[in-house]
This record gives sequence, C-alpha cells and structure tokens, in this order.
Amino acid sequence: MGFVVFFFLAWLIVSLFVVIKKKLTFAENTLVFLVVLIVSINFSWIVIEELKLIKLTKTSLGYTGFILNRSIIIPILTVIHVNLLLWCHSLMMKISLFVSVVIILIGVSSLSNFYDITEFKHWNYWYDGIYFFILNGMAIFSYNLYARASRNVVSY
Amino acid sequence: MILWENFDKNEIYVLIMLVVAYTAFFLIPKKLPTSITILFLVWGFASSTVFDFTIGGGLLDFYQVNDSNKYELFDFLSYFLFAPFSYFFIYFYERFHIGRKAFIFYVLGWCFVALLMEKVSGYMGLTHYQRGYNMKYSLVVFLVVQTTTAIYYELLKKKEPVYK
Repeated sequence: MGFVVFFFLAWLIVSLFVVIKKKLTFAENTLVFLVVLIVSINFSWIVIEELKLIKLTKTSLGYTGFILNRSIIIPILTVIHVNLLLWCHSLMMKISLFVSVVIILIGVSSLSNFYDITEFKHWNYWYDGIYFFILNGMAIFSYNLYARASRNVVSY
Repeated sequence: MILWENFDKNEIYVLIMLVVAYTAFFLIPKKLPTSITILFLVWGFASSTVFDFTIGGGLLDFYQVNDSNKYELFDFLSYFLFAPFSYFFIYFYERFHIGRKAFIFYVLGWCFVALLMEKVSGYMGLTHYQRGYNMKYSLVVFLVVQTTTAIYYELLKKKEPVYK
C-alpha cells in the first residue's frame, strides 16, 4: 500500500508542477530541482545509512516508495514552493506558504512512517521540520544565486 | 561518514583526475553562456549522485566506490569529477554542431569514453563491482544519462531566453 500511496503522491506533485503557471524559467526550475535532489539524496543517505537515525524498509516496493519520496516528491514540491513564492507579494503570504510546504513535507514523512517505509530510531518530526526548513531555504538561495548569474550574461 | 579508509592509489587517482578535469574546464575557450555552464555542472554532479545512491547503494548495492561501503570524503569528491564531463559533453555537442545525423554516433562515442574511464577507475580501485554487476550494465547507465542530457539540452535551446 505504501508504494501505491507514494506513487500517487509523486504523480500528483509532478502533475501539479506541470499545470501551475511557473515564474521560474526552464533552466531555473531544473537547477533548483537538481540542487534539492543532490541535498535530499545525500542527507537521506547520511541520516539513514551512516548515522542510523532512521531505519529503512528492506522490502523492494517500500524501498521504491522511499526512492520516489527522496528523488521526486521532496525536490518537485520544493520547486513548486519556489515558483509559488514569486507570486506572493506580502511577507505574510510568503511565510504562510513556507510554513505550509514544510508541514506538507512533514505530513509525507509521517505517511512514510505510517506505511513502515521508514521508522524513526533517534529522529523526530521536529528534526524533519528543521531539515525541510533548511532545504527550502537552500532552494530559494540557489534560485537567487542562479538568477543573478543568468542575468549577468549576454544572450547567446 | 569518514575521510578515507586507506589513503592510496584510488584517492590519488581522484585528486589527479580532479586537477586534470578542472584545468581543462578552465582552459578551453568559453562557448556556452554562464547560466548553461553552471546548469550542466550541477547536472553532471546530480546524475552521478542519483545513480551511485540508487544502484550503487541501498537495496541494490551493485558497486562500492573507493575503499568501503561507508560514505567517504573521496566518494563525495568523485561526484565533482562528473560535473566538468557533463559540461564537456554539451560543449563539444555545440562545438561540433551535433544534429540528427551525428546524434547516435556522438552518444556512442561518449559511451566508449565513459566505459574506458570506468575501466581505468576499476583498475585504480575507485569502483568495485558486487552482486553480479559488471561493466556491461554501465553501458545502460551511460546510454540513459547521455541521451537524456542531449535531449534535455535540445529542449533547453528551444525554451531558454538566453538562446533567443
């Protein structure tokens, strides 16, 4: 069941990304996705395999659900967040959006626990929240940095 | 996470390759816009990370990078090696004006280079196959990565304002 839920979530998030009106260019969306993907993969590996703070399922379908979360759901949801953030005009709206995305990511994490894909050993949802907060901050930072670098070039 | 298990030929090989690859990157004349250069450097890093942590670790665990299955500093450094190669792939794609006719030969040429590099990496102790994995399977990975890179670049040229 966990695999089906995570496959559905991955489909939903990708479909949402396709249908929303994007503020970022094709290259900017790709860059933010890749940066978040790199961080997400490295972070999950260190926390799960190196520090053993979270136990990961040994079943192949459950593991595929984990891969979908790590490599599609988390990065695409963060890219959607950066796109939507540029539509927000007030600081209050930006903060609300940021907090909502972090809560959604924690919700996905709780589903992962519910379906026994992951099991927290020395980890909790507060740590998850801090991680997702930093991850989304990094996404916004990398977008700003890349957009600045892109503007400083002459058309090809 | 450790720095290294034994500092020997695989670590020295990574350092030498990093110096060679990044020297070439900085020396060749710039042909691509900065934004595209940055994008493909990150693309190369991400591609190697995705495959290493998906088929090279976890449940599949088809190969070991460097001296152990632990995450070493030199594992991390080795991903930086793929970044300039991703850039070179696009650089020469543009430099040689690769079109429909040359596409297949270009990708196959790069696959040959990649397999050769993998053979050297194996000899230098950077990669160790396990669980029945061998170099044949890497051809599949290279074909997938290089074809998607080229297709993505073609798409980027159509969509990105920097090319208009």
